[in-house]
Amino acid sequence: MQTIDSYVDKMRALPPVPRIVPQLMHLLQETDVDSSRVVKLISFDPALTAGVIRLCNTAYFAAGSPTVDLQDAVTRLGFQQVYRLVAVASGAKLFSQSQAGYGLEPGELWKHSIASAVAAQLVARKVGENENLVFTATLLHDVGKIVLASALEGIYVKLLRETEANQGSLMEAEKKLLGVQHAEVGGNLLKRWKFPPSIVSAVWFHHNPQSAIPHHRVASCIYLGNMVAHFMGHGFGHQALAQRGRTEAMTILNLPPDSLPQFMIETFEQLRLVESLISGK
Amino acid sequence: MKPNIVPEENSFDPRPTLRPILVPMGTFAVVREENTLLYTSPLGAGIAVAIYDPVTKVAGLLHSMLPDSRINRGLAKARPGLFLETGVTGLLEEAFRLKAQKENLVIYVAGGALILDPSAYFNVGLRNYEILKSTLAERGLAIHAEDVGGQVNRSLHLNTARGEVRTQITGQPEEQLLCKR
Repeated sequence: MQTIDSYVDKMRALPPVPRIVPQLMHLLQETDVDSSRVVKLISFDPALTAGVIRLCNTAYFAAGSPTVDLQDAVTRLGFQQVYRLVAVASGAKLFSQSQAGYGLEPGELWKHSIASAVAAQLVARKVGENENLVFTATLLHDVGKIVLASALEGIYVKLLRETEANQGSLMEAEKKLLGVQHAEVGGNLLKRWKFPPSIVSAVWFHHNPQSAIPHHRVASCIYLGNMVAHFMGHGFGHQALAQRGRTEAMTILNLPPDSLPQFMIETFEQLRLVESLISGK
Repeated sequence: MKPNIVPEENSFDPRPTLRPILVPMGTFAVVREENTLLYTSPLGAGIAVAIYDPVTKVAGLLHSMLPDSRINRGLAKARPGLFLETGVTGLLEEAFRLKAQKENLVIYVAGGALILDPSAYFNVGLRNYEILKSTLAERGLAIHAEDVGGQVNRSLHLNTARGEVRTQITGQPEEQLLCKR
């Protein structure tokens, strides 16, 4: 059995860390955001620069003539849109490989992450949590699966049998077979990447939101966003829904028991918009 | 995951090439063509209802997300397929318009996945299945074969050339033939 650290140490082969995301997050939390600093930060990454300009020129946002200037694009889109685009674009690089150890084809974990993030953001809006923070945390909630996928590749049949035979969760099976599970590995990784403690803790405990105190509200938003995505079919891999029901996620956020279908409907409508934005159509 | 529609090389499979039609969540499709493959995206807790009339060859597929439309009447009007209750009505109406006969209809169902939740707090999949059964029963219809519940995310494929239904679980390469119960 290996420790969390030993798994995360092996992660040098990962694509470049979305370093810009925590920096941008800190910047946007300032009361008087300096747009030139935002522009400077994004301009370090040519792909992001292109993405922001392209988003600005899509039909949804295009008002007047198209722009080729990053500063102009940031001004027109507004910081919130830019921030979400950067988070999505940075994550897409990270999640682009297949995670065969979980039965995931290339892109599937990423699709799940986006659907979860959109849903969690709607939950955050409803309960008055920080939407951008919840969006980013949820986008990265399964980053630990990227780390563990290769370790699981040879033994995923065992993992499946373990969850089916014991009616256990995937996470419990990971812990039993590998000694670690994806949520704690993901939390550890984000800590090394200097994400704020709220994101680290909420990702670490996204399957047990109560344990994330004092960040249990963020963790509960991730938990519910993840659940909404799974219920809508945006969950992939073997035994995709083998996870524990945590009613405390609802009580922590003071949500009535029947809120989930409502969030599913809102997410359904929001995802159609997001998909058109990402595809640029 | 796209369904496998091309016969294997060197096989003597007489299957014609099928025209694939994706039925996304919240929609339904009804055809009267023999060379079509109607298929859903992964269902999660949502439910797919496939209907087939072997005599008139009318085939239909519904991909619903939630049980009943009381939660949002306006949306149900715009997208009846999103809810099982309004979706089944829409699916059947369209099939009958294309001359499907009620007494011929064979009905297959898949989806309604559940998480591990003894409290039944998060039982959207189960409620979907229950509402579907009662909606069908009200119309004197019964399910012929089904693949529902469990912790797996699956999609349903209906081959209108054979009236054959298969399900596919995400993360597993092989499709499963949905047989009579």
